[in-house]
Amino acid sequence: MSTQSTTELKRRSRKAEVVSPKPAPRLDVSRRIRRLQRQAPMYAFQGLNDLSTRLRDATGREVIDMARVMELAQFAYRQRELARRGPDYAVDEFGFDAQWTESMLPLFKILYDDYWRVETTGIENVPADGRALLVANHAGVLPWDGTMIKTAIFAEHQHPRHVRALVASLFMGMPMLSWFLRRTGQTVGHPDDTRRLLERDELVLVFPEGVKGTGKEFKDRYRLRRFGRGGFVATAIRARAPIVPVSVIGSEEIYPMLANAEPIARAFGLPYFPLTPFWPWLGLLGLIPLPSKWRIQFHEPIHAEAHPVSAADDQNLVMTLSDQVRDTIQKGIYDNLRLRRGVFV
Amino acid sequence: MLVTGVSNPLGSEVARRLAPQVEQLFGCDVADPVAALEDMDFVHADTRLSVIGKLIRQLKVDTVVHLAVTVDSPSAHRAAHETNVIGTMNVLAGCAGPSSPVRRLVVKSSQAVYGASPSDPSFLGEDIVASERKASGNRRDLIEMEQLTQEFSLRTPRCDVATLRLGYRVSEGTTLGRYLSLPIVPTFAGFDPRLQLLHEDDAADAIVRAATSGPQGAFNVAADGIVLLSQAIAIMGGQALPVLPPYGRWMGRLGVRTLTGIDLPAHLADVLTFGSVADNTRFAAAFGWTPSVSTRGVMDALARGKASDILEAPSPPQEYELQVYLQRRRRAERNGHQGTTPLALKS
Repeated sequence: MSTQSTTELKRRSRKAEVVSPKPAPRLDVSRRIRRLQRQAPMYAFQGLNDLSTRLRDATGREVIDMARVMELAQFAYRQRELARRGPDYAVDEFGFDAQWTESMLPLFKILYDDYWRVETTGIENVPADGRALLVANHAGVLPWDGTMIKTAIFAEHQHPRHVRALVASLFMGMPMLSWFLRRTGQTVGHPDDTRRLLERDELVLVFPEGVKGTGKEFKDRYRLRRFGRGGFVATAIRARAPIVPVSVIGSEEIYPMLANAEPIARAFGLPYFPLTPFWPWLGLLGLIPLPSKWRIQFHEPIHAEAHPVSAADDQNLVMTLSDQVRDTIQKGIYDNLRLRRGVFV
Repeated sequence: MLVTGVSNPLGSEVARRLAPQVEQLFGCDVADPVAALEDMDFVHADTRLSVIGKLIRQLKVDTVVHLAVTVDSPSAHRAAHETNVIGTMNVLAGCAGPSSPVRRLVVKSSQAVYGASPSDPSFLGEDIVASERKASGNRRDLIEMEQLTQEFSLRTPRCDVATLRLGYRVSEGTTLGRYLSLPIVPTFAGFDPRLQLLHEDDAADAIVRAATSGPQGAFNVAADGIVLLSQAIAIMGGQALPVLPPYGRWMGRLGVRTLTGIDLPAHLADVLTFGSVADNTRFAAAFGWTPSVSTRGVMDALARGKASDILEAPSPPQEYELQVYLQRRRRAERNGHQGTTPLALKS
């Protein structure tokens, strides 16, 4: 054995030195930037506050609403908080995330209060607890009317409740939209889903007109389409739930659909392809809905639960009740149109 | 009782649980079993050949548990078709006929027969008739297999047939399990489907229960609760990357294959877009049993398994031969023979 190898062995058997990386000298600049980053929101608020008081003094009216700004800031913080909760949050079996939905409410409140200036009447007709089937008219190319009914009940009802709307499978197959709809408590418009939700004592919202309603042309905007085959009535009777008819006006004008480009719709497998004054000519800008004036009226409940369960198979009764609901909603639309001063005011 | 396909992990687990409950247990498969089992007689028999019918008749089998059905095999399409359709056809033919001793038949199927589409109800009931028009690949085979089983059930009233549609499983080696274990998981952009997963133990338990007694028909075997795909990925410690195109499923599958090397079957790609949750109330009502592990529990178990990285040791190579030898010896003793003379050790 050569001496070289023994020295080598000796060298190797020496106690290993603990070499820890020296702490990198922290640049003073980066610390300052970090501090600035932390305090930036505060500075921004102070600046904005000053600006708002100065503008108020100069013009004599509220130009920047600080309460609204605070609300938006809170919304941003809440979103960041929710993004950090990891995988341990509860969704129900339909994929509904109540916490997240409530965090999105400020955005919809802005649409509700300021953009469409929704006036809601008859909210007391919505039961505070227990199951009920809300039945509404459907218009406007995208289902914004559903979001406004949900916002109305969550924001204006004495007992805020989440409404579970039933959505056409067409929207459930769309990227982003399906994700959003499921997250906020919607499910697919299938009788089985309606029954399950009602049996869990939820408020369920249906649009019996379906995609035929959203795909209405502008000239027919206030005329209700056929209410399917009255399936919603049969489901309500079976689940022993009262029916609350809901009339919505204003959604008809958000996307004035002048024509339906059927060949394009067929090519993409859609039920309709709307042509409005802005879509598709302006691209994504054409998707911005117009700021029409909305009114929502909740009518007196129709007590479908008073009928025995066997009445669900009585097609005559089902169609009679279905027509009664439809007439109530149609009359509500005409009443509210008379109460509305103009389309945009 | 005869269990086909005992050499896959689920089959061997079912056989292990059935062995103490039944008088005589036979198992057959084309490959050797992964774990040796003393109380089971193993026969090398291929369900794709008509020899299986002869086997059933000769052994006077009263219950057949047909587990030789492959669901999770993206490649080798032809082989999966042969196993699922032709294999089941042979087993059914073996159970048919007036001289057949078979009184109960349990066929393993999968939740994959439903596929996944946006128009499905949120909870898939057993009576939803799968539309065969759009089905492809593995799912079409499963639908055909179930149709054959149903026809058999109608033609042979003295034999009870139960079809078990097992939920998706994520144990190691399944495509879904490997997909969820990726460090960066490519997902379909704009979708966050609901997933429902079944634990291996529950799957085996359900088959054992259905094999011993109970009504006939098709049953979903599915766990309670759901997880969202994004939650499942986060539980596994991965990162979702929504890069797959939302339309054109084949492009997404191609993307997954090129990015990760995992070959997603068509039905699984649909499930990862639209989600699939089965209604498990019928099985609970019929057998009075619900899976013990919830979907969340299955996911947590998978994450724990990934963290500790335990590999289950396969039985040593000669274990199987040893078991066969011991079995033969026992049988010889039972029949009154002296058996082999014990070795006289020289001192």
